[in-house]
Amino acid sequence: MTNEQLLSYQLPSIEQSSFEKHPKRFLNKKLVAKLFYFIPSLAGVIIPFFIVENHPWIWKTTGSVWVLLLIISIFISYKEFFVRGYVLRENDITYRYGWLFHHQITIPFNRIQHTEINHGPIDRYFKLCELDIYTAGGSSSDLSISGLDPDKARSIKEYISQRTAQHA
Amino acid sequence: MLDISQPTRQSKLSILFYLLKGIKGLIAFVFFAAFSMRSWNSTLGVIAVSAFIIMVTLVGPIVQYWFFKFYVTGDELIIEKGWIFKKRKAIPLERIQSINITQNIGQRLLGIVAVEIDTAGSKAKELEIPALNRHFAIQFKDLLGLKKQHLIIDSNVIETADSIVSNNDMTSTIDSKLILELSFIDLLKVGITQNHLRSGGLAIGVIIGFWYKIKDVVENFFGDIFESVDVDLEQAVKQPEAFGYSILVVILSAVVIFIIASIIVSLLMSINKFYDYKMILKDDHLEVRMGLLNKKEIKIPLSKIQILEFHSNPLRKLLNFKTARIYQAQSQNNIISSVEVPACHPALQSQLQHLIFEESIEQSEKELLTNPWSHARLDMYIASIFGLPLAAMAIFFQYYWAIIIPVCFIIAIGFMGYQYGKNSRVIRDDDFVVFYKGWLFNSVIISPVYKTQAIEKWRSIFIKKRGEAHLKLHTAGGSRQLKYLIEKEINVMQNDINNHVIQSTKNWM
Repeated sequence: MTNEQLLSYQLPSIEQSSFEKHPKRFLNKKLVAKLFYFIPSLAGVIIPFFIVENHPWIWKTTGSVWVLLLIISIFISYKEFFVRGYVLRENDITYRYGWLFHHQITIPFNRIQHTEINHGPIDRYFKLCELDIYTAGGSSSDLSISGLDPDKARSIKEYISQRTAQHA
Repeated sequence: MLDISQPTRQSKLSILFYLLKGIKGLIAFVFFAAFSMRSWNSTLGVIAVSAFIIMVTLVGPIVQYWFFKFYVTGDELIIEKGWIFKKRKAIPLERIQSINITQNIGQRLLGIVAVEIDTAGSKAKELEIPALNRHFAIQFKDLLGLKKQHLIIDSNVIETADSIVSNNDMTSTIDSKLILELSFIDLLKVGITQNHLRSGGLAIGVIIGFWYKIKDVVENFFGDIFESVDVDLEQAVKQPEAFGYSILVVILSAVVIFIIASIIVSLLMSINKFYDYKMILKDDHLEVRMGLLNKKEIKIPLSKIQILEFHSNPLRKLLNFKTARIYQAQSQNNIISSVEVPACHPALQSQLQHLIFEESIEQSEKELLTNPWSHARLDMYIASIFGLPLAAMAIFFQYYWAIIIPVCFIIAIGFMGYQYGKNSRVIRDDDFVVFYKGWLFNSVIISPVYKTQAIEKWRSIFIKKRGEAHLKLHTAGGSRQLKYLIEKEINVMQNDINNHVIQSTKNWM
């Protein structure tokens, strides 16, 4: 049996580990969800088109703004997908997300209070779910990893609760 | 000894207390009725609504009193309230973080106090027993504390009977030590060194808010007077000479009045807040008492304290003291989880730090500096949002000399941002992460490394190629961040702190 002393600077750094990607269908889900978000605001184009007939520039400008915003947000979602990833290590979980604003957050297992799995209707259609990790105190350090395979999410949740139980 | 195993109601005075609260609402209703129901045509409707509201205010308190019960069963404190919408809250005793006794002016008049039970992770107002006798409240608080301690001892199987006895001894012979007591002179000093800009702004906000409420009424009665003093603004802008120095005098006197008013407001506010301030160390928790109109008694277990902050400003620097702020593991939107310690002299500062975290900050091992130019740049961008339209306006109206104002404004903001960045840094020694932030209004934020809950690095895409990022430290008492650090250094610090937390077995909250 070995029981070597570990000094904190000898432990591996996060940059050395390889981040696990989300399944490809998460990107499809994101794009579809974005489209759903944008449909209600299409009213701003359709209503002027039928009602204000003698000022066609109104629906033309709102229409082009709508298309522009849609393209931008789809582009961002697309870019975002490729930087999103998580690393599960022996004692902590690291998640990184965001393209325009990139975040990388690490939570050690001995600071996790509880975990939760959620899924909405669009998630269910794409066979995806969301893993929420809660810490104590305010909600600022809570982590929510969306777009996971349900089986995988369950096994991660299992693993985390096992590890947190050891520390409690 | 108090017996609260049976459902207990509050003091009967609580009926009066609820009534007082209701009357506040009633007054608001009367105002509303007087000004907005004039347009209602049917007198009957007005009478019916009024009668209903009055009934509710009079009968409501009795119902509220009757259905508000609390008791302890097993290891839970149970609070029941409500008649139509029943609510039953069960709080496990071991989850109770702290028990605070507070008293606002209404409660003071009636000679009752409120007991607030603070748990990490729930809304505080829900767990309040608003009307108890002071004597009862103190006994209740002690009883809950005792029960909680017994529970914790019971759960530690390893602990033997001896330690239980010794623990009981400890609770019976509490040694208390006075840490800070504010004299009236101290109080005045604290008042004078408040942030006057903020209190001035607050005063203006309140006055404007109040003015809009009563504007119609006042104009109804005194309308003629206003019209007679109505200054022709357009005239004033076009021909400033016509008014001579009178405008200058008006502006100057307005500024003077604003300054005096702000100082008075901050004096009054700090006297009200910190009157009779006393901080006592008892056993393993701090007890803080303060307040003139709204009395507050706060109990903070030392082990729950997450962050200690020292705030300063130019006036405080002159008098050589800072204001300390203690943050404990917080529940959502709970303000009481931060406690202010005004008039902290250097000796007291180090004493507080030693007391709370047991160790003092050593020579720093690692130091992360921010890039002051990045701070200046961001601040100037934000300032230009307001400055550029002003400049454009000046050009449009052909007042070319006026361009100087927005330009100076943007440059001044940029300079302040540069100084902010130059004076900000994060250091980390063996036990602590310390943030130094700000220039004139600087603050020092101290948090033990092992209390970190999560550590975050973030950046926008625009600073990616500059190799910079922001560091954000999350604790159970809130998050603190510093912007524009070098990304590589952050990575090292992030790994370092994270590994420290993983290896730590200390109880962090």
